Amino acid sequence: MPSEKEFIQLLNEHQRIIHKVCNLYMDAHADREDLFQEITLQAWKAYAGFRGDAKFSTWLYRVALNTAITFFRKEKKKPEIYSSAQMPDYGHQDTHDPIEEQVKAMYAAIGDLSKIDKAIVMLYLEDYNYNDIGDMMGITANNVAVKMNRIKIKLKESTQKYMTPA
Amino acid sequence: MELDELKYQLNQKLATDHASRTDADIAALLKKKTHSVISKLKRSLIIEMILCILFSAAMLYVVVISSYWSIRLYFGVFTVLMFGFTFILYYLYQRTQKLTDSQQPVKANLQAVVALLEEFVKRYFQFTMAILPVCFVFSLILSSMEPISIPEVDKFALHYFSARWQVLIFLGVYMIVLAVVLYYFTKWYLKKLYGNYLAELKQCMTELG
Repeated sequence: MPSEKEFIQLLNEHQRIIHKVCNLYMDAHADREDLFQEITLQAWKAYAGFRGDAKFSTWLYRVALNTAITFFRKEKKKPEIYSSAQMPDYGHQDTHDPIEEQVKAMYAAIGDLSKIDKAIVMLYLEDYNYNDIGDMMGITANNVAVKMNRIKIKLKESTQKYMTPA
Repeated sequence: MELDELKYQLNQKLATDHASRTDADIAALLKKKTHSVISKLKRSLIIEMILCILFSAAMLYVVVISSYWSIRLYFGVFTVLMFGFTFILYYLYQRTQKLTDSQQPVKANLQAVVALLEEFVKRYFQFTMAILPVCFVFSLILSSMEPISIPEVDKFALHYFSARWQVLIFLGVYMIVLAVVLYYFTKWYLKKLYGNYLAELKQCMTELG
């Protein structure tokens, strides 16, 4: 019987992973809350099968991505794309900060990607190598490399769309 | 700016855009109900199994108390059918039990969820369609073997039909229309429930190759 206390402690230490997945897959705050709850529950249900062969963070990524990809919303709201109004609030926003603007544009461009591409980007951002990403996604490292190249091109093009002309 | 250059900053944004949860918040979440499709499917299968058992018992009761041979046979056959369907539902439920492993690779998880949903939709549709001809054939055979006179129905038949062949044609058309309507309704209903979701999952599987 897995220890609930131990699980809660581990999840608390790694909760940024779940937040990252929720931020990437859901636009609306309520949807993110629902997904956070669902990932937490699925992780708890699967925790008995966690044998510690992999790092907890890797295991949690797998559970979180599986849950996010198969997450079912009754009424699928159209905008998976972030408009400026839907973009997460980063606190103080300097509209003249070009780096900030580029990050926002890239964030929005990632929001345009398919669920699978988002998962690959997320793992790439976490510095997982192509072999690890392949293991988590259930595809070969070569396939990951090909996909990653395509994603980079897509993002480069798409980011331009979200950049406001100077 | 390319993805590599933005990696660090974007990672920070993605991870920090949230309010941290405490241990108590997480503990409270563990007490809540899951909303995954598999959990919904499980709940729906349990409800359907209970309903099947209740209907079987109700129909069995009719078989025991009815004095008409035709009604006893009709409800007896449906008791057996319902009983059989309960086993199909139980088999699907057992499959959902095995599908709680969300720690497998994304592709394998998608394949498992899609296979289960497709099987559920297929069996549901097959059973609904299979029950129709049984229903029709039994109704015709049994009503001709042991006709029961219902004054209101007799009055209606006498008013609109002058010959037996007209009644048979009416019943034939009625059954065909009902079968066609039920066929499309069941298809629409299952598509509405799981169709779009299944298509979305299959699209993800296609992407993964």
